[in-house]
Amino acid sequence: MSLNIRPLLSALKRNPTGALLVALQVAITLAVLVNAAWIVHQRIEKIEQPAGINTRDTFVLVVSGSSNKFDIAAAESEDLSYLRGLAGVAAATVTNGIPLTGNGGDTGLYLHPGERGRLVEAADMSFDQQGLKTLGVSLLAGRNFRPDEIEPYTPGKQAPAAEVIVTQALARTLFPQGSALGKTVYGGTPKTIIGIVSNFMGPQLGTPPYDTVIYPTLPGQYGGYYLLVRTQPGKRDAVLHEAKHHIGAAHRYGVVQYTQTLASAKRQMHSANRNVAILLVIVTALMVAVCCLGIFGLTTFNVGSRTRQIGTHRALGARQRDVVTHFLVEGALVLAGGALLGSILALLIGNWLTAHYALPRLNLAYLLAGILALTGVGELAAWQPARRAALIPPSVATRTV
Amino acid sequence: MLGYYIRLALKSFRRTPGLTALMVGAIAFGIAACIVTLTVHHAMGRNPIWWKNNVLYAVTMDSWTPEHPYDPADPEHSPTMLTYRDATYLYGSDIPKRKALLAFVQGVLAGAPGQTAPLWAMTRATDSGFFHMFDVPFEYGGPWSAAADRGPKPVIVLSRRTNERLFGGRNSVGRTILWNNLRFRIVGVLNHWDPKPRYYDLSGGGTGNFGRPAPAFVPFKWGPMLHLFPNGHVSCWQAPGAKPIETYRQMLGSNCVWITMWVELPTAAQRERFLNFMNAYWAEQRTMGRFQRPRDNRLWKVSQWLKLHHIVSNDSRLLLRVAFAFLAVCLINTIGILLAKFLRGAPLAGVRRALGATRRQIFAQHLIEVTVLAVTGSCLGLALGAAGLAGVRALYAHSYSAYGALAHFDLIGIAWALALAAASTLIAGLYPAWRIGRVSPARYLKSQ
Repeated sequence: MSLNIRPLLSALKRNPTGALLVALQVAITLAVLVNAAWIVHQRIEKIEQPAGINTRDTFVLVVSGSSNKFDIAAAESEDLSYLRGLAGVAAATVTNGIPLTGNGGDTGLYLHPGERGRLVEAADMSFDQQGLKTLGVSLLAGRNFRPDEIEPYTPGKQAPAAEVIVTQALARTLFPQGSALGKTVYGGTPKTIIGIVSNFMGPQLGTPPYDTVIYPTLPGQYGGYYLLVRTQPGKRDAVLHEAKHHIGAAHRYGVVQYTQTLASAKRQMHSANRNVAILLVIVTALMVAVCCLGIFGLTTFNVGSRTRQIGTHRALGARQRDVVTHFLVEGALVLAGGALLGSILALLIGNWLTAHYALPRLNLAYLLAGILALTGVGELAAWQPARRAALIPPSVATRTV
Repeated sequence: MLGYYIRLALKSFRRTPGLTALMVGAIAFGIAACIVTLTVHHAMGRNPIWWKNNVLYAVTMDSWTPEHPYDPADPEHSPTMLTYRDATYLYGSDIPKRKALLAFVQGVLAGAPGQTAPLWAMTRATDSGFFHMFDVPFEYGGPWSAAADRGPKPVIVLSRRTNERLFGGRNSVGRTILWNNLRFRIVGVLNHWDPKPRYYDLSGGGTGNFGRPAPAFVPFKWGPMLHLFPNGHVSCWQAPGAKPIETYRQMLGSNCVWITMWVELPTAAQRERFLNFMNAYWAEQRTMGRFQRPRDNRLWKVSQWLKLHHIVSNDSRLLLRVAFAFLAVCLINTIGILLAKFLRGAPLAGVRRALGATRRQIFAQHLIEVTVLAVTGSCLGLALGAAGLAGVRALYAHSYSAYGALAHFDLIGIAWALALAAASTLIAGLYPAWRIGRVSPARYLKSQ
């Protein structure tokens, strides 16, 4: 039998409501499916951005003074020498923020003296010569801080840093052409860039994730400090437990506020994106399932109400395969109509998302893949009732009821 | 008649159990998705103190550098916090009925009977007006006096949770406790109070905008008194060539913004007077070289304040829209199935018409069938929605995001479920029932 679409179309025309409703479902589902997949893709891309630091073996211990009698500078150096002598510790430093958490500070840097010209916002961290090793960040150019450059905390005085280290990303933001090494930037005081390190995510406060500047000053201004500790692989939890216990009891006027592993910080940082992606996937999957059930239902209904016609068709020489094809083509027509409407809808929604949520423009490959996937599962849904139709014996045509 | 129609409907369901399950399931899942997203969305957008929306105002001024706006991504908006200089000047006005400055300072609580380790407590530094303005409920005692604001006197208010941890929930009013190693007298213990979002302080400090309220409260002036640097959100800019901020005193005189200010202005006249007062201060300071940006002195209602801070997340809006698209697909699906099912039962309806049933009766009979279906689907949807909310809470258990914290079933969710059920019945059932009601009996009688 040649594929004859005309009788199919006239059947659709005679009773269009059911087919129209299914096409509408297909359209909405396609539009949502395509855009949801595109959003999920963006979220996964964000989640997969490398942190650039060792998140597996590193933790933070937050120490806070309970009175202004707390000698922060002494406590810092005491804690550091304790930690560096502790078995299982690979490196330790004291710093002013926690990478990946938003807990920290940022700095505005200028390219010209007098804080004029282009402003570059960067997350800031301050730590001593062991900081890079603790984070697991590698030096790409220049040098690390020397121990004699480290400014200890002095109460009521924040030492202006004359030397800074920047990430590769920040170096490029500051000096798009040429090397940043040895150049001077301004912010409070002039600062010379002495080193460039591999990209890592700093505390991230409304700045691009990898733009971080590092000062050789030790913190304390806000009444406390963060101890950043990297352990040997597998020792993290044991060291964390021991250090928390020891430091908690070590200072008369200082308490351990809380501890946090960078692994958990990273998980929390990504949780919003991850969870939205999960919820979108669940709802979209349910939507596709309902849509397929709709196609299944429509085909089942058509098969049921055309039993005699199918019998006649078979009696006149149609093979089982022809009957199956008939229903699959009918399904395909409905799917195609839905896909056409759905594509327009998907593009409209995509444009709207780009305009309102700064989402990148919808990749047309996603639309194409969405059409193929939805038509594929749609045809599968039509296939089962079509098979059943093929089993209708030709003798049905001759029965009266 | 109603009972008879319901019996007919049940009979019809028994004839096609698969299709019935499919329709009930589709309605249930669609409604559940909507309930989950609506509940969270509604909770996010809630104004926790709506009854004072026209009375309480957050105060802002654009004190930022002339070089660039406070938020380059959103240049329209001024800083949402005040500098110490401006906040203390504006606080001096006696135009507002009540007023409060808000900031966070670090605090460590010790010396409670039987307390082994000091308790770190990010402390809310504020004024007595805070408790009155925001209708903060007390379990024991009450706010400190206005005189204690001025002193400042060593008085402290504990949250209910802190009181449970330190005093086992007993009345601790009148006892003393060490706050940052100084002896403070407890004057009040809060009752359960956890407005979400934390509308009175949306600076993101402490436990975040959807976090618990501070564990302890002390008079605002204790921060400056003890040189306690603010422990919440601080944003600074420096004039060209200015000396870097080194000491606490320099910080107080600096352009750093870190104080949220609220005033209670019950009448339009008071609002006008206070704005004039701000404008006069602004003009005077401008002649002295400050406030070089365009004038942007503002009073924000709570509802405007929530909107300004984009408290309802885009993700929540997105999920809400997807859920409604899903419900739409489910309902269209149900319409299709119902239509097919009813039309297949057309011969029966034809016989009933021939035996004297009116069109209206046929219509009513089928609409009742749809209603039974929708009610069952909605009940199931409500249960699924509750399960979905529990799932969302579990998903967000270890997250900073507010989405999980707000996923609690409430009356609003149930009200929405009922409304959605009614709407679904109408949307899904009207057309099929109408179609079957218009069937002409003759056609089916003939073919029989």
